[in-house]
Amino acid sequence: MKVLMFEFLAVLIALLIWASADLPDRADPEAPANQHLSPDLTRLTESDVVIPNLVSAILADFRSYDTLGETFVIFTAGLAVVLVLQRSRRVREEENPDE
Amino acid sequence: MNDRYDSVILHFIARVFLVPLILVFGVYVLLHGELSPGGGFQAGAIVAAALLLVRLALGNRQAALRIPQGLLIWLACIGLGIYMFGGILPLILGYNFLDYAPIPVDWYNQFAGEARTARSMGILIIEIGVFFGVAAVLVLIYDLVAGSSRQ
Repeated sequence: MKVLMFEFLAVLIALLIWASADLPDRADPEAPANQHLSPDLTRLTESDVVIPNLVSAILADFRSYDTLGETFVIFTAGLAVVLVLQRSRRVREEENPDE
Repeated sequence: MNDRYDSVILHFIARVFLVPLILVFGVYVLLHGELSPGGGFQAGAIVAAALLLVRLALGNRQAALRIPQGLLIWLACIGLGIYMFGGILPLILGYNFLDYAPIPVDWYNQFAGEARTARSMGILIIEIGVFFGVAAVLVLIYDLVAGSSRQ
């Protein structure tokens, strides 16, 4: 079973390396990701948002739904920590009421 | 991590120099979020770091900036509320959710003497919301894991 898994992983790695040869270089202006979205976002930031920080414009304006979700994730994580740790503290107090 | 670490140098540096500097820098990062690298998440983490430094250096009991747990949860809720307010205000004014174009900024520009656009005002509003949420949740988690005080 282990040999089979290693063979499968080797084939997968070879496939990924072979596929990565077709990827465009980083910062290639001809890449599809740099042809459609990036110029539009840069232009809209200059014309509509009028702030110098492109990252903030994308994070908080173009993708503000995404940031809303991230804030909800952090808030939910905090509430989950509160629920878990408070319960364990109450159980510990019931076990040793002297503390 | 509940006990006071007995070192005069650490107490002096933490209380007089580091914590005020970190707090001011956190607010600076928050308010300069649209102009320079920064924003709500980073500012929240920086301010939470200042509050945790007080707890680590002076001990939880003596820490001057101890915040009750209920208040921390309220602060996180208020942060989310500010964010949702920034989203719903354009909705009331007849635009899409989180579309900052109709946010009124003329009164602010007259008051502060700036030339801020409505969209950068909306970004500032939701950055403040994110800031409160992140800072409150980070301090809350530390207080729950390492705090000794029973709330």
